[in-house]
Amino acid sequence: MSKPKPAPLPAGTVVGGYVIVKKLAAGGFGVVYLAEDADRHNVAIKEYLPASLAERSAGELTPRVKPEKQPLYRLGLKSFFEEGRSLAQISHPSVVSVLNFFRENETVYMVMNYLQGDTLQDFIVTARDLKRDKVFRESTIRSLFDEILRGLRIVHQHKMLHLDIKPANVFITNDNRAVMLDFGAAREVLSKEGNFIRPMYTPGFAAPEMYRRDGTLGPWTDIYAIGACIYACMQGYPPNDAPQRIEKDRLALSLSRLRNVYSDNLIEVTEWCMSLDPLSRPQSVFALQKELARETERRYTKLSFSERMKLQFESLKAGAKS
Amino acid sequence: MRFHVYQVSRKGGRQKNEDRMGYCYTRSAGLFALADGMGGHPEGEVAAQMALQTLSALFQRDARPTLKDPLRFLQEAVLAGHHQLLRYATERGLMDTPRTTVVACVVQGQSAYWAHCGDSRLYLVRDGKLLARTRDHSYTELHGALAQSGQPIPMDAQRFNRNVLFTCLGSPGKPVVDTAGPTVLQPGDRLMLCSDGLWGAVADEAIVETLTRHVVSDAVPELAEMALRAAGAKSDNVTVLALEWEGAEGADEAPVVHTRSLGEEVFASTIQASLAAGEAPVEELDDAEIERSIREINEAIKRSSLKKP
Repeated sequence: MSKPKPAPLPAGTVVGGYVIVKKLAAGGFGVVYLAEDADRHNVAIKEYLPASLAERSAGELTPRVKPEKQPLYRLGLKSFFEEGRSLAQISHPSVVSVLNFFRENETVYMVMNYLQGDTLQDFIVTARDLKRDKVFRESTIRSLFDEILRGLRIVHQHKMLHLDIKPANVFITNDNRAVMLDFGAAREVLSKEGNFIRPMYTPGFAAPEMYRRDGTLGPWTDIYAIGACIYACMQGYPPNDAPQRIEKDRLALSLSRLRNVYSDNLIEVTEWCMSLDPLSRPQSVFALQKELARETERRYTKLSFSERMKLQFESLKAGAKS
Repeated sequence: MRFHVYQVSRKGGRQKNEDRMGYCYTRSAGLFALADGMGGHPEGEVAAQMALQTLSALFQRDARPTLKDPLRFLQEAVLAGHHQLLRYATERGLMDTPRTTVVACVVQGQSAYWAHCGDSRLYLVRDGKLLARTRDHSYTELHGALAQSGQPIPMDAQRFNRNVLFTCLGSPGKPVVDTAGPTVLQPGDRLMLCSDGLWGAVADEAIVETLTRHVVSDAVPELAEMALRAAGAKSDNVTVLALEWEGAEGADEAPVVHTRSLGEEVFASTIQASLAAGEAPVEELDDAEIERSIREINEAIKRSSLKKP
């Protein structure tokens, strides 16, 4: 019984002096467009248009919100402002920058830098399909995450958490920068205790505390997601989601597959970030950066005979199941 | 669960609105609540707000996504609000405790459960008839009940003002909390919570008729308007929250809250949970607030673009 999604603005529509070129993406919070500013420079515009609360027929400009959905709609608007506020404060090459914020059509718009490139997710899928023993080179992973962590550190310094870090939200630009996108779930957590609606989480990348309503979120929550991203960069696939891991944790086992392909240190760091217990993870981005930057001689440990047997046995079992 | 819900609170002729209302829901349970902070005691609006926050916070904690025992939950959550009020007064060294009435309703599965303390009411209307209504904890209603049951009415009862309540949250004695349910709901049933600002000005028959004749999003504002008109310039705060139960399925196009689209762990609420006691309730974003936010964001953008190398 899903209701139709609100229609995006058609190409050629002018909002706030920008001309819409096309829709780039649509999420739960709204629609992202490619648009041109007055100087015909490309920008990305995010329109607040929560699919579950607002309706818009094709050809209309102003979304309609049923009276009984007004309170939640306005509440969502607050989060949208929070995203804008936080992004506006942060000026860092690894964090997408906001250029303008305006109100029109009885909703609000956030204008951001338009980035050309692909998401980390696209890169992983492409690399994975090449079916080499490595998805990415270790040095690539280390420098990529060093860049992402620099941005994340600034985010945390502004008392914010991203809360939805995943390869699809990391953008690699054509000039080779890593930029974090989509701060829709981000919120200032250190100043507010109660959440209305817990941010939506992405299975595999969401820390176990994201699934619990009384879970304390903190920098360690983003760090879990970073660990999961590193995992995906090595393995080519996302890790099992936290509830599955709580039931039966196969993380160590699947990481052992990567031994001798990636250094022991990188595998250990991944496992450290992805500890189920928040307190066992690196407690700050800085602690993690230090560990990742430690360029000692890389040690590689081959699998022992019994470990190889165990792995083969596991994959047979997995093969039989599917 | 599918239901339509609508809520309105009007200040009337009073200086401030000491009524509070709100609802919250998970995928399979909903909590609807209303509180009327009492005049004659300090900080009525704080009392009402705290009672609702406590209910909502406990609901969020316990409804996973259903409550194990809704009646027990209501009983305990209402009393927890009472204890919050006592603690609040003690912490601040208040001479008197802020007081409030409360009425709360849980809808879970096909059933409704409710609890109240004081004279805020719940009405359940089915097929144009009043199926149930809470009995106020006032001497007037007590009289009525005693008279109906044929019990003798105490002589000195005449001396009491009809509006005086013998129990509420924040009172020195343990509050009386009446609970009712489960009542199995049928599609089209209307559940309405209101403060005495409504029922003191509009007769039960008119309430039932209005609820029956209109969808809740029309009936609720209409009822509030009727009360304000009837009570005139001195009108009390009028607060009305009503829902129409939609049953399990039914693919009509009417606006409706589908809790099915919520994940197992998702919780939605119109009740502020993080409010520090004593603060004014956060109003919904109004236009001025929206404009201010946008201005602030643009100022921040300007500031940080200056910092850029």
